[in-house]
Amino acid sequence: MESYSLATLWYERQRYLPGVLAVAFSALLIALQCGLLLGLFSITSIPIDHTSADVWMGAPRVLSVDLGEPISEGDLCRMGVQPEIERCEVYVQGFAYWSKPGGGRELCMVIGSRLSPDSLGKIDILTPAQCGLLGEEGAVLIDESDVGRMGIGGVGSVAEISGRQIRVVGLTKGLKSLAGPYVLCSVTTARKLFRQSEMQTTYVLGRCRHKEDAAKVVSHLREYKNVSAFTKSEFSRRTQMHWLTKTKAGAALGYAAALGLLVGAVVTSQTLYAATVASLREFAVLRALGIPRWRMALMVVSQSFWIGIIGIVLALPAVYTLKWAADHLMSVEINLPWWLQVGAAAVTLIMALASGLFALRSLRLIEPATLLR
Amino acid sequence: MIDDALSTPALEGVHLARSFGVGETKTTVLHDVSLELFSGQITLLMGPSGSGKSTLLAILSGLLRPESGRVLALGQDMWALSDQDRERFRLRHCGFIFQGYNLFNALTARQQLEMVVRWGEGGSRSEARRRADDMLDLLGLSKKAHLRPTELSGGEKQRVAIGRALIKDPNFCFADEPTSALDWAHGEQVIELLRSAAHDRGATVLVVAHDSRIIEHVDRVVHMEDGRLRPQDEPEPLLHRMKEQG
Repeated sequence: MESYSLATLWYERQRYLPGVLAVAFSALLIALQCGLLLGLFSITSIPIDHTSADVWMGAPRVLSVDLGEPISEGDLCRMGVQPEIERCEVYVQGFAYWSKPGGGRELCMVIGSRLSPDSLGKIDILTPAQCGLLGEEGAVLIDESDVGRMGIGGVGSVAEISGRQIRVVGLTKGLKSLAGPYVLCSVTTARKLFRQSEMQTTYVLGRCRHKEDAAKVVSHLREYKNVSAFTKSEFSRRTQMHWLTKTKAGAALGYAAALGLLVGAVVTSQTLYAATVASLREFAVLRALGIPRWRMALMVVSQSFWIGIIGIVLALPAVYTLKWAADHLMSVEINLPWWLQVGAAAVTLIMALASGLFALRSLRLIEPATLLR
Repeated sequence: MIDDALSTPALEGVHLARSFGVGETKTTVLHDVSLELFSGQITLLMGPSGSGKSTLLAILSGLLRPESGRVLALGQDMWALSDQDRERFRLRHCGFIFQGYNLFNALTARQQLEMVVRWGEGGSRSEARRRADDMLDLLGLSKKAHLRPTELSGGEKQRVAIGRALIKDPNFCFADEPTSALDWAHGEQVIELLRSAAHDRGATVLVVAHDSRIIEHVDRVVHMEDGRLRPQDEPEPLLHRMKEQG
């Protein structure tokens, strides 16, 4: 069966090319859109995933890490009294406007954390030297990819956040952001920028003696009405889901991927349909000879399978090239874990097979008696 | 044995009628036609265009249902069988050669033949190859086995089409204008192959054609005009035939 299918695909490759390209296009679109989505997800939860806190406590019903509101620093005690908690600390995070020295404003996400080596809220890409620099009041770090966007010349530049002067004392590398660039600083600096008193914080972070106790601590903290609490993984997922559902970003990307799949399915199906119709007389001879219709159906489905495989194989290098280009030329994160690649290939292959099944309607046109008219 | 074969028709059409269209556009193309065909014989069905000979071939071969009448093939009423059983009957017993070659462009001569064995009989790859090579050898195409239709001449293509019809060693072989696209030298080769299928393999061969040069190569000629057989071509009553054979 395969030898006839493959021989036909190769010999009439011009005819089947649109189908193969459509499948490749679909696979490419699915992989890249989902990879982009994962990339976006991972960016939104960087402050959670790249810090060492096991438990996050914030304002009631907080939807995502970037939407925290001030709570009382007194809540620190609520965390601290939990027997499973080894240590806890304050953490300030929120959106603010960055005023560029040359004019204009940019929304940014300020993160103020303790800077000691065992800090729970310090993002793990910060070096001890950078932490030392942030000890100075008004000192901030931004990512090197955001220098142009923030309208500054580089390290040593001065700008304003919420009307308070800040100085860029260093640059991080690879700290990507979504809604606004991350601005890293000390808790003291962040409080000044947000005009928070020392009695306020955005989150209280806790580390458990045993990580597996985090859920237990969270369930205890949830008994307090004026705070919400999450384990690290819960808060990360909650943040990502918020971005996925409430912002419609996920829906838009998913829609584009679905559209790509539909285009691929229609083109593949029509290609197979046209190819089968072009061989109707040959198939009709086989039908006259008594060869059952399912043999021909199997050949069409087998062709759709190989179109799927070839399309996927063609898409792979294109996916990696575009991922590389997005990463290096546009600083756009595309995550392509193995399960996503396998999933995209599987969905594409199913689409190709479904197209083959849909093209089987052409076999209804086979009528051996027409060869005798 | 030969007497038996000649006294009992392998294929018999009895009072066959068929029309196409409905209402005012209805055209009757076959009027109460009866015909007997015998194994080991090659029969030529001749007649002008539109005389109904292709329709008769389609009905006798199980491809087109008659409006009335019966087709008895190897003792079975072919049109009383279910669609699936009739398909099985064609698979086991019938070979077809149509006008035009109808070969798959992508497949080699060998693959065109192998396909029938593998798909039709579920034969193994090696068996299909062996039988295809034997048949191509018989057709004088051994050296062309690896070529595709575009690399073959018209005569070679028609021989491949004949090979496709004969590879399963059918009891019946139906050929519709098998020489119409060929020059006479190649046409004669094709008719000789069909004649050999009848005489050497004992097949019942029915050929529909216009070309009168074929007449001298066949055992029997039947003429059709306006949907009817010429009276002298109608089968004689069985009793009379048996008496004659003594």
